[in-house]
Amino acid sequence: MFTPLSPQQWNYETAAHLLNRAGFGGTPAEIEAAYGKGLEATVHDLVDASDDFANVPPPAWAHPRKIGKIRMEMRSKKISPKERKERKREFHDMEGENILDLRRWWLERMLTSPAPLVEKMTLFWHGHFATSVQKVRDGYWMWLQNDTLRRNALGNFTTLTKEMSRDPAMMIYLDLQKSQEEHPNENWARELMELFTVGIGNYTEQDIRESARAFTGYRVNLRTQQFRFAPFQHDASSKTFMDRSGPLDGDDIIDTLMKKPTCAQFIGRKIWRYFVEDDPSPETVDAVASRLRAHDYEIRPVLREILSSADFYSDRVIRSQIKSPVQFLVQTAKLLETPLPSPSIAQNSMRQMGQILFAPPSVKGWDGGRAWINTSTLLFRYNFSNYLINGDEMLSAPDPVKEKGPDLGFRRGLALGADMRRDPIDVSKLIPAELRKKPQELVAHLGNRFFQAKAAAKEADAFVHYLEARNPDTGDETMRGLLHLMMSTPQFQLT
Amino acid sequence: MLGAAASWTLPVFLEKTFFALDAMAADALTQIATGKDGTILVVLQMAGGNDGLNMVVPYADDIYYRSRPKLGLPADKVLKLNSYAGLNGKLTGLKALFDEGHLSVVQGVGYPNPNRSHFRSTEIWQTASDADRNESEGWLGRYFDNCCAGADPTVGVAIGEEMPQAFAAKTPTGITFSEPEQFRWRPSEKIEGRMSAEESFFRQLNGSAGDEEALLAASEGGSIAAIPGKSKTDLSTIDFLQRTALDAQLSSDKILAIARKYESNVPYPQGRLAASLSMIARMIAGGLPTRVYYVSQGGFDTHAGQVNAHARLMGELNDALSAFATDLKQQGNFDRVLLITFSEFGRRLVENANGGTDHGAAAPMFIVGGAVKPGLFGKYPSLSDLDYGDLKFNTDFRSVYGTVLDKWLRAPSQVVLGRKFPALPII
Repeated sequence: MFTPLSPQQWNYETAAHLLNRAGFGGTPAEIEAAYGKGLEATVHDLVDASDDFANVPPPAWAHPRKIGKIRMEMRSKKISPKERKERKREFHDMEGENILDLRRWWLERMLTSPAPLVEKMTLFWHGHFATSVQKVRDGYWMWLQNDTLRRNALGNFTTLTKEMSRDPAMMIYLDLQKSQEEHPNENWARELMELFTVGIGNYTEQDIRESARAFTGYRVNLRTQQFRFAPFQHDASSKTFMDRSGPLDGDDIIDTLMKKPTCAQFIGRKIWRYFVEDDPSPETVDAVASRLRAHDYEIRPVLREILSSADFYSDRVIRSQIKSPVQFLVQTAKLLETPLPSPSIAQNSMRQMGQILFAPPSVKGWDGGRAWINTSTLLFRYNFSNYLINGDEMLSAPDPVKEKGPDLGFRRGLALGADMRRDPIDVSKLIPAELRKKPQELVAHLGNRFFQAKAAAKEADAFVHYLEARNPDTGDETMRGLLHLMMSTPQFQLT
Repeated sequence: MLGAAASWTLPVFLEKTFFALDAMAADALTQIATGKDGTILVVLQMAGGNDGLNMVVPYADDIYYRSRPKLGLPADKVLKLNSYAGLNGKLTGLKALFDEGHLSVVQGVGYPNPNRSHFRSTEIWQTASDADRNESEGWLGRYFDNCCAGADPTVGVAIGEEMPQAFAAKTPTGITFSEPEQFRWRPSEKIEGRMSAEESFFRQLNGSAGDEEALLAASEGGSIAAIPGKSKTDLSTIDFLQRTALDAQLSSDKILAIARKYESNVPYPQGRLAASLSMIARMIAGGLPTRVYYVSQGGFDTHAGQVNAHARLMGELNDALSAFATDLKQQGNFDRVLLITFSEFGRRLVENANGGTDHGAAAPMFIVGGAVKPGLFGKYPSLSDLDYGDLKFNTDFRSVYGTVLDKWLRAPSQVVLGRKFPALPII
């Protein structure tokens, strides 16, 4: 396992594959640059990139706001019902605006970060420690969790898991902050084992009950909006968890779980699926698991080994992964060398494609893979490409529906208004003037950009025939039609 | 321009797929009963938590009036079903359906350890999970996975902008659209009346080169795709994508063709729900091989000013459902269609200080169709024996799902729901 890729196999295609999977893809120029640098240097750039970059500063509102106080004032009987209603509306609007801004912020980071692997891995952890704003209801807490995930993205899995047990958003999402010594809440304890560490079938109901007791006393301070430990709520008596007994606390539970081989297998399989292929063989899973244990759950060295390995670049792996909606959105903006759509359009499109950041459908996160694609989401991707290329004339707005409460990104028929405005892309950035009249060469040139490889003969023929059918028109509209055609293919959904 | 396109006949992929899938069809366990002869389920979601107490009103109970001085519906306005309960006065059409034997009411429906969050409780209803379990797949998605492998992609049709979680499946099946005109690929260039070069090459790239008329003709007998095949899980990723692209293409053409061809003589009222049900009636008339339609009505989260809001919703529901039933009767399809309603929870017995009601628990479900066993089923929950102020359920909603699966869709409920729930004599 993990034989390094031989230098002879490092080429435009393998370099593109690395940028696609370890980040959000690259333009032909970026791919050429990576190819020129070589495998080791490119992997080093990705894996060891400093996350000390403030190219996209945190949202201005991302600080504690004494949310408990705001909520209390909102319900205060001292103010008139009319005023209460007004404050509630303001608060809801603010919640909606913040979460919209948070999505914009993260997408911007993904698109522009000099450390794309950090963002890609943050997205992995977001799907792993899935937490939804739909229950958490506060943009600050969602930001705080995202920041914790990013700080630990390539760090240590044990540390990250312990941090998640103290993360306000997670604690609210899985009811940990409500857990009392008298009535331990089992939600967090169950998911910790079922979904975050060892996987289903590798623990007993007794383990859940005992560990739920160990995690009592974890609280969220609503004034500071931070974690606090309440010793009087903590059950300090003896517990028996798996093969350990004693007055175990939450960290003891996590340490015990990390020692289980099933834990390394569970997380190793998930990492492999995210970066490499959907169905790893049991041998592959064991190999990743043993590397994880050898590195004591440090993620950075394991990723370095995976991203340098011949397996990662094998023919069956390259261009075999279905782009997630987020990957689709960010990578498309990169490939078209165009800005991201406006925040509300981006949010709306993520919803229609089935992946709203900060709102995974359940604590299981997103299934991914083929689950991204059905007839509706595929048609949406095709038509959304049209909007990104040709601008707002191509998007028909649904009737807005006015509903009460905050819009956290699930609202049907958003009133998009001015947000929809978008100009057609500048074709000259992608197409050298001299190629416009040379269909074969033009298609090969764009194939390198959109598929990072020569388009398959059948598709290439269709693209060339389209240009011939449009002949002698080689204007911008024809070029944009070609781009849209290239993106309206099953092949473009792969990375 | 079209000359070049026309010279492209059957795309290579389609050809290949026909052969590949034909060979695999032998072991398909697909239910073929679609099209003109199959039974059809329509699921109507009342989103936001419908006030079951003001939909099926316990008019003979003093506790109801004491608990709801502002919101209690006067007994003389209630459409009586028996000596204890009656329908909201707006539900005249549903009362008529009840009287003619086409409506059954299941009372006190819910589940153990009810959750009062919209999000979580909707998830529980959509996935049919226990309250303390998290499931990703929806109950209808599991039905598609287990019983409809290789079926036409329109086996499930949700009217709306996004797929309901109930449809979430291991192998995504079913389609979602709000307007047929939206459920189609839109070329960069708009040319009225004829296909642009771009569109003809799009069709070629996505595995379909026929025109709408030819497709419709090919599909009159039943399944659109007429492509036998087993589960998409056995295809490679790129074949899976190409197959889905072809499905999208074909179902989009077919839905547009039906939407343009079939019109109803029955007048439908204004509003989104009526428009959705009218669309479904046209799809049924057009013979779309769909087994499950999904539609939703929003706005039931009536925390304040409920009197008018809820009456309006009940009127909208009544008028839309009445038109739908009339339409189906006229088509001769009423006996093939079963519609069930659900909401994530009912509302609290006691009204709040804002003339509204807060999140509750158990509530009734309506079952409408030519084949239902009419009447009232389950017990009306006690208004004195409450669970934190809310009605206690006596019928698990999965008993309704299970009965519908076993008796109506002829699907093994135990496989789809994970275990057997007591059947109800509603069908």
